Amino acid sequence: MSLLKKVLLIEILKGLALTLRKLLFDRPVTIQYPEKDKVKPEPGFRGRHALVRDPQSGDTFCIACLRCVKVCPSRCIYIEYEADKEAKKRKITRYDIEALRCVYCGYCEEVCPVNAVVLTEFFEYLGFSRDEVYFDKERLLQNWDEFIATQKRPYLNPFWKPRGIPEKILPIRKRTFTGV
Amino acid sequence: MSSPLIEITAKKNSSEAIVEPFYLNLGPQHPSTHGVLRLVLELDGETILRCDPVVGYLHRGVEKLAENLNYNQTIVLSDRLDYIASVANNIVFALAFEKLFNLKVPRRARLLRTIVGEMARISSHLLWLATHALDIGAMTVFLYCFRDRERLLNIFEKICGARLTHSYVRIGGVRLDFTVDIVEDLYKFTEEFPHLITEYETLIDVNRIWLKRTKDIAVVTPEEAINLGLTGPVLRGSGIPYDVRKFRPYDAYDEVEFEVPVGEKGDTYDRYRVRMIEMRQSNKIIRQCLDKLKETEGEPVLAEDSPDLLIPERVREPEPKPHPKRGFIFTGREVSVVPVGEAFASIESPKGELAVYVVSDGSNRPWRLRLRMPSFVHISAIPELTKGHMIADLIAIIGTLDVVLGDCDR
Repeated sequence: MSLLKKVLLIEILKGLALTLRKLLFDRPVTIQYPEKDKVKPEPGFRGRHALVRDPQSGDTFCIACLRCVKVCPSRCIYIEYEADKEAKKRKITRYDIEALRCVYCGYCEEVCPVNAVVLTEFFEYLGFSRDEVYFDKERLLQNWDEFIATQKRPYLNPFWKPRGIPEKILPIRKRTFTGV
Repeated sequence: MSSPLIEITAKKNSSEAIVEPFYLNLGPQHPSTHGVLRLVLELDGETILRCDPVVGYLHRGVEKLAENLNYNQTIVLSDRLDYIASVANNIVFALAFEKLFNLKVPRRARLLRTIVGEMARISSHLLWLATHALDIGAMTVFLYCFRDRERLLNIFEKICGARLTHSYVRIGGVRLDFTVDIVEDLYKFTEEFPHLITEYETLIDVNRIWLKRTKDIAVVTPEEAINLGLTGPVLRGSGIPYDVRKFRPYDAYDEVEFEVPVGEKGDTYDRYRVRMIEMRQSNKIIRQCLDKLKETEGEPVLAEDSPDLLIPERVREPEPKPHPKRGFIFTGREVSVVPVGEAFASIESPKGELAVYVVSDGSNRPWRLRLRMPSFVHISAIPELTKGHMIADLIAIIGTLDVVLGDCDR
């Protein structure tokens, strides 16, 4: 470093010039989050849980296969069901998701053969107590109603039918699924 | 380790020159220790005589937890190790398990993994530069780095729906393909990013305060670096061009061209330069992979015989030849889904060499999972590096090693 550069603080002035240029000519990157600007997550964001409401029957799609219970790494899904032997169907009596234990990996929505469970793009759901973030079946269906009101129909979550996954790996219902 | 404070107090009068050294606890709750790292310092004035790192405040027992989860669920745990670059952890887990499962990953999936791996490297290095500069006293760099890291996180959010804990990689490939939108975003990012690096360099590269704080601080000679087990940019800063991406290419690194930067003297400034050049190289790798991605348009991103997310304990073995009319007939014999054996995989994570060793007993969950985390080894080098330095330099040394305590304590 020559003496002239040392005395004139060239490199520091260059840095200051850069920050001044940013200050004067660049748009601010700060967003005024809750007051002015809204943050919209990208499609497929793994946020609050919901159970998809079947538009025909008004109930959930869930067939109580328990795949989501088994795949959940944090084991936060609890299902109880009763079997209807004549129709050879199972009907859920309880479907609880403990959101505080959930790690939001999205495995449940990916393994679900009928696309009944979904992690919606809704993310502002703080609660003051544990009960507020312990979702039972009614609450999960209500979450879905709140979420789908803001979406375009038909809605198709990217994890229901992952892009680029060979089709023969997917369950049959998922291959032809086009959205709710 | 027994309580280091008691240990030190017992040795109090061993040195003749210093009658009573001063003991200081730095951390575990200190902003410049980058997490919950406790350092017990033995001081003479401001000079460090001894430094004793105490780790384990963030221990979650990932290795043991993994023994109760199946292989795909284990990848979710890996997100929480080095949470700055979680895709790198995902990749090394998946690589080890794929060796166990004998899977061949499709080319498109390998390219995608390379892209996200390099994105993770850039985002990790940006966070490192931000916090390192902030520790030393340059506030503006911190703000600029976070501004640009935000763009990468937004792209990650588009790719896999999460900003930090991605769980993007799965055994046999990746979970989702890129959309056209993401590829465009990445092209735009790679075009602008070299200018952004120049911006940071304008601020600190020749800044006299930065030079004073980093030059000749914590000099590691090549021999020392090898003896201490350092890897990654810290090793390369000492002049040893060891990079797993070059020596044992995984994913698509054998297809791309890139240089491995090395430093000369092995001081903090050299390590800073190495990381800056690495970011440029990562940018170049992403660019090349994006070009190659066009050739593999429409190919699957998951190997055909890769296991389901919900890996079954045992599967029924199909007949070796398909039946002409009825497809595959399943014989009654049940076989385990994973062969008994062991596998080892290592990658060049942003922090250093990250390795996984897994032993399988034939069930759907690992019998034993052993992790070699770079941060743990780097923290163990802190006593050597800090000897004779000032407290203020200690902060620069923690910064230059780029430790993440989630990575260290696992």
